[in-house]
Amino acid sequence: MTALVLALVLPWAVGALLLLADGRRRRWGWTAVAAVAANLAALVVLAVKVLPDGHETVVTGGWEGGIGIVVRADALGVTFALLSSFVVLAALVHEVLDGVRSRTFPALVVLLCTGLTGLFLTGDVFNFYVFFELAMISAYVLTAYGDDRHQLGAALIFAVVNLVGSFLFLIAVAAMYHVTGTLSMEQVAERMAGVEPNAAILIAVTFFVAFGTKLGLFPFHFWLPAVYAGTRPAVAAILSGALANIGAYGLLRFGAGLLPEELELGSTVLIVIGSASVIYGALLAVSRRDPAEMLAYSSIGQAGYVLVALGLGGPVGLAAAVLYAILNALSKALLFLSGALRGALVAGAFAVGALSLAGMPPAAGFLGKLALFHTGVEEGSVALIVLLFCGGALAFVYAFQLYQHEFWRGSRVKAGTGLEEAAAASAKELAAGRELPIAGGAAGSDVAAEPAASPVAVRAVSVVLALIVLALGLWPEPLLSLSSDAAAVLHGGAR
Amino acid sequence: MTILTEAVARLLLAPSLMVAAAILIKGYVDVGDGFAAAVVVSLAIALQYLAFGARRAEQELPVLRFAPQTAIVGLLVALSSGFFAVISGGAPFTHEPSVGARVVRIGRLELMTAVSFDFGIFLLIAGALVALIHHLAEPPELEPDLEEDAEAAR
Repeated sequence: MTALVLALVLPWAVGALLLLADGRRRRWGWTAVAAVAANLAALVVLAVKVLPDGHETVVTGGWEGGIGIVVRADALGVTFALLSSFVVLAALVHEVLDGVRSRTFPALVVLLCTGLTGLFLTGDVFNFYVFFELAMISAYVLTAYGDDRHQLGAALIFAVVNLVGSFLFLIAVAAMYHVTGTLSMEQVAERMAGVEPNAAILIAVTFFVAFGTKLGLFPFHFWLPAVYAGTRPAVAAILSGALANIGAYGLLRFGAGLLPEELELGSTVLIVIGSASVIYGALLAVSRRDPAEMLAYSSIGQAGYVLVALGLGGPVGLAAAVLYAILNALSKALLFLSGALRGALVAGAFAVGALSLAGMPPAAGFLGKLALFHTGVEEGSVALIVLLFCGGALAFVYAFQLYQHEFWRGSRVKAGTGLEEAAAASAKELAAGRELPIAGGAAGSDVAAEPAASPVAVRAVSVVLALIVLALGLWPEPLLSLSSDAAAVLHGGAR
Repeated sequence: MTILTEAVARLLLAPSLMVAAAILIKGYVDVGDGFAAAVVVSLAIALQYLAFGARRAEQELPVLRFAPQTAIVGLLVALSSGFFAVISGGAPFTHEPSVGARVVRIGRLELMTAVSFDFGIFLLIAGALVALIHHLAEPPELEPDLEEDAEAAR
């Protein structure tokens, strides 16, 4: 219980205190890092206790469940909490080493981490919403981090679309409470079977739209490219590697955990939407030249895979969905963090991320694709295998197109061969300089793919992340058992 | 603002604070809580800002400048009264003194963790709302180059 409570309350209190401090100072940045690291450590302790198939429950006030709010850590929740906390830690260390640019950044990241930990470790539908909002509100402000016009635009889009998503989610929670008379997830799962089918379907669809918006699935994706392309790399890594986990976890927990019958009924729709996401995201990613935008479209595609796996369902499909969500979060974080850097070893780290995205061994992304292929073979679905192959091939094309564009052509510009690009880049820099006399230097250097090497420590973060992705690919056993344990919570608990 | 608004704003402040205190205290036997009390307080303060403008309002009530700090202190008070029971091995948000035990009273005010939690919520909401009102009343100056930038965009 101590680990569970510590994981929650420690970043919460430290985050609140950090709001008072000037986060641009190194020591406050490192305090924030320490808080997130402590959160991660507490989660590891919790995971050791909970895995493979246990759970730990704390009811507030020592009341019985149903009166007190249930905080519950099971394999699925702990897995996602660990993943998100880890990605947040990596992004935070990256930014602290690179130099924090606003006074509230460390505090907001720590509070976002609190929100994520809370929502993955709750057994109460409404409490989920509360922590979800804590994470989202921090994210709204974080998106504006950098205070450039791009970032403000991105923050506005992000806040508006996601507030609509949150609102839909809240309506669905209210509807669920209305039909079942309880907010505890365990009781909801029991009582949902007796609910009138029309109401249940409506609730399930509202949840789906809410989480689909968060995750950026195909028909609800429109906000995602503008936001990911507009924010700073560390924030984009947090959004795609940690915050998007809410969508994947929500679909798993609410879909497979609480509304399994509705999920089965809608499985064809999920597979169709997922496939559309995969193809659409991959095709648009291939056509983009801006790295952040390309990665954003790729996120839409990768979210599609999770949905397809969820639609196929069954122990194998759910485990594949969990595994895919984990690997995608890790490789996206790696790509966003290393994509903006320059210097020795960064290209290698980026290539590992690109391999992982495309699903090539030895990078860990291979496991996700493999699990999906396995699901496809199990289901005997030719269409799925074709889809996976096409999606994978396209991912390979765009990932390495990006790699080539970012890390090879940049050096040619420096050598003076790519004159046109150099001229275009300097014209852009001029334009940026004219528009923003003060911020022009920073914005211009981003546009022109400044070849100056990034600080060694910042590069080291990406390299460590890349090594972890490689290690998980080479020694996949822990990850595989983790994801199947996490998935076992769902079909064990609900059916 | 007219002299009338100023006079009304001045007159209303003290009674609003009393009403808020009443709402805060009676929340444990009757309708009311820290949140509602904080909203009443910040409405009264919003009226001050409206009547006197941000600068004068903050000159007359210097405590308003500490709104963000108040909010954070409130959050910490609420968190600590929620989670302190964990130290002695209880569940979070356990009542102290526990059910049936004697409660120290000061008039109608009962000294227990539920009250301190609610007092934290009161500070948090009041601080956050006043900080919000401050920003609405006196938005941070736009940087000159940002304005030019906006014009260039048009």
